[in-house]
Amino acid sequence: MQFFIPSRRWLRRLGFGVVGLLVSLLMGGMFLAGQAQDVPAGQNISITNTATAGFTDGAGASRNVTSNPTTVRATPSPSELVILKTGDRASAEPGDSVVYRIQVRNTGTTTVTNLQVIDTLPFGVRYIENSARAALGNTPVLLDPPPDEDGRTVTFFLATSLAPNQTVTLSYGALLTPDAVRGNGRNLAVASGTANGVTVTSGTASFALAIRPGILSDCGTIIGRVFVDKNFDGEQQPGEPGVPNAVLFFDDGNRVTTDAEGLFSLAYVVAGTRTATLDLTSLPGYTLAPNLYRIEKNSTARMVKLSPGGLARMNFAVTPTFQEGRR
Amino acid sequence: MQRPVSMLTAATLSLTTVGSFFVNQTAAIAQEITPVPSFRAVVNSNADGAIAPDQGLTLREAILVVNGILTLEQLSPEERSQVTQQADTEAPRIDFNLPVGETTIQVVGELPPLNRDGIVLDGTTQPGYATGSQVINELPTPAPVVAITPIENLEVRRGITITADNITVRGLSIYGFTGDLSDPTSGEFFDFRGWETRHLDWRELYRATATTPPADIFIAHRLPPPDITKQPTPANFAPFYDDDVPARNAVIEDNWLGFPPTLAGNAQPETPVVRSAFGVSVFNGTGATIRRNWIANHDGSAIITAVDASNLSVTENVITGNGVAGMPDAIRLEGNIDQARIAGNLVCGNDGSGVYLFKPKGSIAVENNQIVYNSRRLRRAGVYLMGDRHVVTGNQIRVQAGPGVVVTAFPRSVGNRIQNNQFTNLEGLSIDLVQLNQAGVQDYQRADGPNPQRDSQNRREDTGNAAVNAPQFVSKTFYALGTQVGSAADTPLLAAPKQATAVEVFGTADPGSEIEIYRASGLDRFGYAALAEPLATTTVGEDGKFKATVANLQVGDRISAIATHPTDGTSEPAAPAMIQSLDQAAVAPTDQSASSIPQCVTAYVPPAPPEVPVPEEPITIQVPTRIHFALDQSNISPATAKVLDRVAAVMLENPALVVDIEGHTDPRASDAYNKALGQRRALSARNYLIRKGIAPERMTIRSQGETQRVSQGSSRVDYARDRRVEFIFRDARGLELIVQEEDLQIER
Repeated sequence: MQFFIPSRRWLRRLGFGVVGLLVSLLMGGMFLAGQAQDVPAGQNISITNTATAGFTDGAGASRNVTSNPTTVRATPSPSELVILKTGDRASAEPGDSVVYRIQVRNTGTTTVTNLQVIDTLPFGVRYIENSARAALGNTPVLLDPPPDEDGRTVTFFLATSLAPNQTVTLSYGALLTPDAVRGNGRNLAVASGTANGVTVTSGTASFALAIRPGILSDCGTIIGRVFVDKNFDGEQQPGEPGVPNAVLFFDDGNRVTTDAEGLFSLAYVVAGTRTATLDLTSLPGYTLAPNLYRIEKNSTARMVKLSPGGLARMNFAVTPTFQEGRR
Repeated sequence: MQRPVSMLTAATLSLTTVGSFFVNQTAAIAQEITPVPSFRAVVNSNADGAIAPDQGLTLREAILVVNGILTLEQLSPEERSQVTQQADTEAPRIDFNLPVGETTIQVVGELPPLNRDGIVLDGTTQPGYATGSQVINELPTPAPVVAITPIENLEVRRGITITADNITVRGLSIYGFTGDLSDPTSGEFFDFRGWETRHLDWRELYRATATTPPADIFIAHRLPPPDITKQPTPANFAPFYDDDVPARNAVIEDNWLGFPPTLAGNAQPETPVVRSAFGVSVFNGTGATIRRNWIANHDGSAIITAVDASNLSVTENVITGNGVAGMPDAIRLEGNIDQARIAGNLVCGNDGSGVYLFKPKGSIAVENNQIVYNSRRLRRAGVYLMGDRHVVTGNQIRVQAGPGVVVTAFPRSVGNRIQNNQFTNLEGLSIDLVQLNQAGVQDYQRADGPNPQRDSQNRREDTGNAAVNAPQFVSKTFYALGTQVGSAADTPLLAAPKQATAVEVFGTADPGSEIEIYRASGLDRFGYAALAEPLATTTVGEDGKFKATVANLQVGDRISAIATHPTDGTSEPAAPAMIQSLDQAAVAPTDQSASSIPQCVTAYVPPAPPEVPVPEEPITIQVPTRIHFALDQSNISPATAKVLDRVAAVMLENPALVVDIEGHTDPRASDAYNKALGQRRALSARNYLIRKGIAPERMTIRSQGETQRVSQGSSRVDYARDRRVEFIFRDARGLELIVQEEDLQIER
């Protein structure tokens, strides 16, 4: 439904000196879903509503404008099934299996038969065959016919009827495949059955699983140290203290500061060829030490090849300087 | 032994075939087989180059003879006459007998190391060495005559290298030894080591990192870095192997390091064209003694240690104007420095701390030094302590652009005793214990200011000197029960401070500690004052209370106190209390700024009949207060150089003038970048003035970045005015300060 709310300039042009405008919506004749007893299941109902706009005109009088009524037609279904879905963990990574539990409760007044639960699993999460178990109280419930897998949708057929206020519990396992990292981890379950010859459907229950990339992560960790090298081999031996507050700049713009021991670590670094350089202005009195053993280390920057999920080391050896800023 | 010239070895541009490389190797072996006889060699030629049997004995040849490498048969008869064999009980000697006017030895490559035990390299044997004379009041030694320096435009990293025990270096001037002189992309470079001189491509010379430590005097084990032949695989659990034995008991005395033996006017050491890198590098040498040297004008520290410098003794030296372009601290102690003693030195006008301990091993003593006018470039403590049980006593720490003594929180440092020192004109606390494990940039430079009293046992774990509490006076004021009759001078002025009778002061501190009560001077923004003069001591009772009677106070004086616990160490100073008298309102004396001329060393004048100076008419001198820079530049333009020359002239004429050099930038670019740019501008102005003969102790570098603009506009002219260095003269009486814009550099 649309309201036409005149802009102030438009109103002025029309000669209205409108200072305030009040729009109210009046919903009329609407049947709420909870009042199922009043409406037989399957019967059509219509919801009518009208809108009223109130404003103060130039003369100071309050005036109202009422819209035409609109009607929405709907078919309420008897909401007799309530579904609840949980998982045994909040986050998982590929290779993990998750146990989902679904509770279906009949809150209606009639017994539901032909009970089935349709679960749409997250992308990349697969139902583990024969893992489903169901129980009504302490009584195991047969799953017959066996669960039907169709793509991401698994349909469980519970060979039991559900009396009012009874709860059936269904649990099953699912395996995270490597594809799971591409999905959002959210799945949707719906229970349905037949009551008095009419199909009864529950609301939709959902459960979100945070999916960590795990071993499929494309990030790695870089660790390293900045220390005073005394034998110019680029490695820290006892007696070669770490330099605190040295600043390193990484190729992605990260600025990392060493701790009081001269150590640093940087997690969640995107894998690939990573370089970092030492900001010599952050350590007055020191500059990069020569390396008498490896030509490669005689460089202002360190380059490492960081594999996904891997660990790489960048050590910077420094020595007291005598020519600050000249290199 | 011919090595391929790689990126690393090319750095060692040694000019002689028989130079250090080849000789070093065989020397070590030769010594193990037969003991080298004790020779006395007299250097009578200041030439240097390849070893050749010719007319004169050069220093290089003399060292090789005394080391036992060069045999007498390899010398010419003229050279042989300069060498005498002595009894084995006598110390091998290198003496000098250079012709007059040829006393500067310009070396063309690193000299071979002194690696026979007991060698005495004695510059005092040179005729003309005025034994018993004195050049400056601060140092009772004559000027050296023999000077050792690299030939122009050649990178020679080390002057004298000491790799054996009991070696003495005496009475020499050694300067100009540094690394990385050359820009390999310009000029021509040659490898002189082979039989044929080979042209070097710049790619063979290019280095992205520093060289191994250069120094005027380098003390280390045999075959020190960059030679790694003895450590083909580096040692695992220490920087070097056990058989890389440190050189023991070297004695460095009566030398002038870092500047030529001729002094500029007013007894200022001359800045050589090429400044030395470090003075004495005790890289790996135990029991070294460094005494009565004048170590000045180095790019890095005057004295620096690295691996093992235990039992080091640094006494009676004059250490001025060092750390200009590198490690700023005058004495930088790293590695094993157990039992080191630094006593009776004048440490003045250096760019960083007087003494800085960086994560060392062992405990040292810093006694009776004068540590004045330091931290010219970087705001650091006069003495920065890391580690346990150091002793700092009897020092004078004055005019320090930072706190006096700092004890770090990390690594945990306990039991440092800091007593009986005198502090004035500090920018920070006299004694500052870093707390709460703070390890930020400032905490390793100028500490964190006053600590509150301990609020938890955890403070003991995370604060320097186990967070020993500063004493607290029971009152902000103590009343003298009377005043003594003032002297004739102060009776006319009612407000003049009067001598108070002895005052009883009370307070609280950690039980068991010893309290020293000081006269306090100055008052900083925290309400703390410098510990100017120790007045009285007392001990704290079991109940944590102390009481002392302090005499020799004047009404209006402030007093402060420190507590020294036997195991924890010394505390920060107490918040000061004021002395008042019952019969007279106290007037706080205005703090006297240093009225003496800031000068590290003064020319020694032999006693002479005093002349009556003719009083001169005061004349007004114009002095520019600003110089300007180009966009994003910190170099001195020719026009700016002319302005700086005028500043230099005025400062030379007025030796009492002290200046703060403040760098400023225009408001573009980030705050941090501009702060650094301002620092670079101030630094280049300062270094220009040093070259013009202004003593470094008279100049303090600061940077304001873009925080203090001249104008608010945003035109190119406004920005050009903003890009400046300001000279803020202290006590500029008789000077007319002018703002000049002759060197304004407007961006295009």
